[in-house]
Amino acid sequence: MKSKLLQHIKKFKPTGMQSTIMVAFSAISVSIMLVLGIVVYLRFSASSRQEIIQSTQKLMEQTVENLEDYLVSMRQISDAVYYNVIKECDLSNKEDNIQQGMNLLYEANRDNLRSIAIYNNYGSLMAAEPVALQKEDPDVTKQDWYKKAMEKMENMHFSTPHIQNLFDDTSLRYYWVISLSRVVELTNNGVPITGVLLVDMDYSSISRMMKQINTSNNGQYYYLCDKNGQIIYHMRQIQISKGISSENSIKAASYKDGVYDETFDGEQRKLIVSTISYTGWKLVGVIPYSTFTHGMFNTRYFIIMIILLMAMMLAVINRVVSVRISSPILKLSDSVMEYEAGEKPEIYIGGSIEIRHLGYSIQQSYEQIDMLMQKIIMEQNERRKSELDALQSQINPHFLYNALDSITWMIEGERNDDAVFMISELARLFRISLSKGRTIISVKDELQHAQSYMNIQKIRYKNSFSIKFDIETEIYSYCTVKLVLQPILENAVNYGINDMYECGEITVSGKKNDENIILAVSDNGTGIPEEEVLLLLTDSNRVHKHGSGVGLVNVNNRIQILFGKQYGLTIESEPDEGTTVSICIPAIPYTEENSKILEKGNIFINE
Amino acid sequence: MKNNKKLFISIEAIMAVMVIAMAFIMLKENSKKDLHKISVIVPNSNDNQWTAFKYGLKMAAEDQDTEIFFVSTGNISSAEEETNIIKREIENGTDALIIKPVPDNKIENILKKIENKIPVMLIGTTASKNKPESMLPVTEPDNYLMGKSLAEELLKDYNGNITGKTLGIITETSVQEDIINRINGFQDVLKDKDAKISWTISGSFKEPEENTLDKQPKVDIVIALDDQSLVTASGYSAANNLHGALVYGIGHSTEAIYYLDTGIIRCLVVPDEFSTGYKSLTETAESLKYYFRKMKDITVSYTIIRRDELFSQKNQEIIFTMSQ
Repeated sequence: MKSKLLQHIKKFKPTGMQSTIMVAFSAISVSIMLVLGIVVYLRFSASSRQEIIQSTQKLMEQTVENLEDYLVSMRQISDAVYYNVIKECDLSNKEDNIQQGMNLLYEANRDNLRSIAIYNNYGSLMAAEPVALQKEDPDVTKQDWYKKAMEKMENMHFSTPHIQNLFDDTSLRYYWVISLSRVVELTNNGVPITGVLLVDMDYSSISRMMKQINTSNNGQYYYLCDKNGQIIYHMRQIQISKGISSENSIKAASYKDGVYDETFDGEQRKLIVSTISYTGWKLVGVIPYSTFTHGMFNTRYFIIMIILLMAMMLAVINRVVSVRISSPILKLSDSVMEYEAGEKPEIYIGGSIEIRHLGYSIQQSYEQIDMLMQKIIMEQNERRKSELDALQSQINPHFLYNALDSITWMIEGERNDDAVFMISELARLFRISLSKGRTIISVKDELQHAQSYMNIQKIRYKNSFSIKFDIETEIYSYCTVKLVLQPILENAVNYGINDMYECGEITVSGKKNDENIILAVSDNGTGIPEEEVLLLLTDSNRVHKHGSGVGLVNVNNRIQILFGKQYGLTIESEPDEGTTVSICIPAIPYTEENSKILEKGNIFINE
Repeated sequence: MKNNKKLFISIEAIMAVMVIAMAFIMLKENSKKDLHKISVIVPNSNDNQWTAFKYGLKMAAEDQDTEIFFVSTGNISSAEEETNIIKREIENGTDALIIKPVPDNKIENILKKIENKIPVMLIGTTASKNKPESMLPVTEPDNYLMGKSLAEELLKDYNGNITGKTLGIITETSVQEDIINRINGFQDVLKDKDAKISWTISGSFKEPEENTLDKQPKVDIVIALDDQSLVTASGYSAANNLHGALVYGIGHSTEAIYYLDTGIIRCLVVPDEFSTGYKSLTETAESLKYYFRKMKDITVSYTIIRRDELFSQKNQEIIFTMSQ
């Protein structure tokens, strides 16, 4: 499975330069955009979350203020009833005054009030406003508000919402109230007695305030609970009591004012708790985390859309850029490939400076390769021709005819010793000429060959010239191209001293000069005019007047092909003084190995 | 090269499709969601007996994000009348109906036909007299058990011995499943007891020509098996027109609570009307949300309330739902 996947991935692995650039650019741009998108989204959602929390806090502050105002006004009513009405009147005598005072306060606040009532310490109703029929034995002493007031006499007590179970107003209705109760000191016939003052606030006032802030339909809501977590107002109050819904009010009631995170019923939510002073009630704002995301859906989609649009745009730009970068390279590569395939088109030169330069370089190198190839072919041709010429020189029929003719005359003239000498010299000459088909021989053999040749020539020319060998023996064991001296000697004999009588002198010298071997043939003949000297080594088409036809050019070429351009022949001639032809070759010891390398012929070319 | 171009074009095309999809989703999110509209048809819609039911509907509508139309009605007496109201609601574009069927044999088939078009949830009673044969889903309390519980409470007051006591049973109708089951439940408990049911009458008792309760023979105990009958009977009792008979009954209005509070009613069985409203609407809204969801029958609870525990925490909440 894994290997299959890898294979698939490998299949998609970009192979072309353009794809690589495109994929790399796209990957980078997509990553940057993703990171950017996520960062922007997170930043935006964090600030929006902060904003929601802050606005919730502000709204809650306002509501807490309103609730506190409301509760303060209720307390003020309670205080007013106590200090301005009850304390001023005696129950027995001035009940009407009490009723009147209570009536005034009730009428002034009837929007928020359900009733004001005074009970004595036995739970009997002393006065009530609005005047209504008391229910049959409501037994207020068992009611929570009464008990709480009696428990802590010095305090005012706010109850949780409950049904007012005191009066029968014949409207067949039940009122939901929050009771503010406190112990008061009543005066009955001048005797102070304790009683309880009850101010029943209409629950609808509080529920109205709460409803006003509970209008959001994004899941955010507010509820009110007392310090024990008992719910005073909740949008889902009945659902909670029926178990359809639930609320973490007990825990919320234990929190101090602030913002809290909690997980309730598997839902993460933010809780903002504010305490309403004096009552200890808690106003709790609940922001489920879904509220934060609810408002962010559009932003999320918008960011994704922007990312997609940018990705589309970048894909186009990436493609254009990658095409622009890769196109000249691809064209260059194509032209090189076509060149390699043998079609030999023009190498593409275009695009940026670097690629142009590359194109030029490739073109130049190809041109140079072509030139070198041609040169090599030419040289090879030359070499072959030279070798053929050399071969031809080995069996120069004219030379052979002359030698054999001389031998014949010797035998006829019964100069047998001379004939024998002549034949043995001829045999030596041919042995070295052949040299088992080698091109490279030792200097010693070459000198031997030259000597044999000159001995034959001397007999033929009836000792009309003298030959002198001045050779340093140390050079014997170095390599040379075979049959290089013979054509020079042939030239010396033919052109240098042929026309002289009895005083022709040819000197063959050999010495080692630094890393080179210098073999020189000097004659004291007529010399060569200066203009001809130059032609001797360059014009291979010169017509040979005499000799084997193997010119100095041939010798020079062979040396240079094998040893390099720096080697070869040097001709120095002075008319009527003589001519010296020097052969310069590198001093390479004559070993089997060196000989083989030189036979291959390319080592010096490469160098 | 060609492949590259193809790949490039397909990537661009995919991204373009995604952009369009995103734009579409955004537009859809922005356009205000059409809330499901559910019409609620009950007779005498402004009656106090529906207060808790309405409150339940309202709460469920908020929770389910649904719009409710509580159709203003008077006394719906016939299937035709109810059908006309239903037709009008359908014309007004309602998506579902919550309805209390009239006591009329024809109504079930009519409602069944309507149910083929839009979801219909019955409340309070099935349209057929026999609940197992009912073709439509219903949200109601276990009426048989309520009747039974009321009889058991009555027996408790007499320590199980009501020998020689005479009873009068009063109901709004005698041809509807809820009332039939209540009567059956009640009578099943009392059948082995030596109590005599002197009379069983049905009607609204609002019209002057109808048999009024005070014209019925004197009984010791009057049993009212629905809210309207209970309030009527209690009214008679309060006006001393019931020959001193004690009232027991099933009811769910503040009037019934008041008469219990004032001692006119001895024992009150209160069906959970808040839950009837809440659960019926939730079930209907769910069926609108999930097309293949089939609505089921829902049974809501009931509470037995006596005067001495009328203002307990639990009962206060019941009264709270009735006082909205």
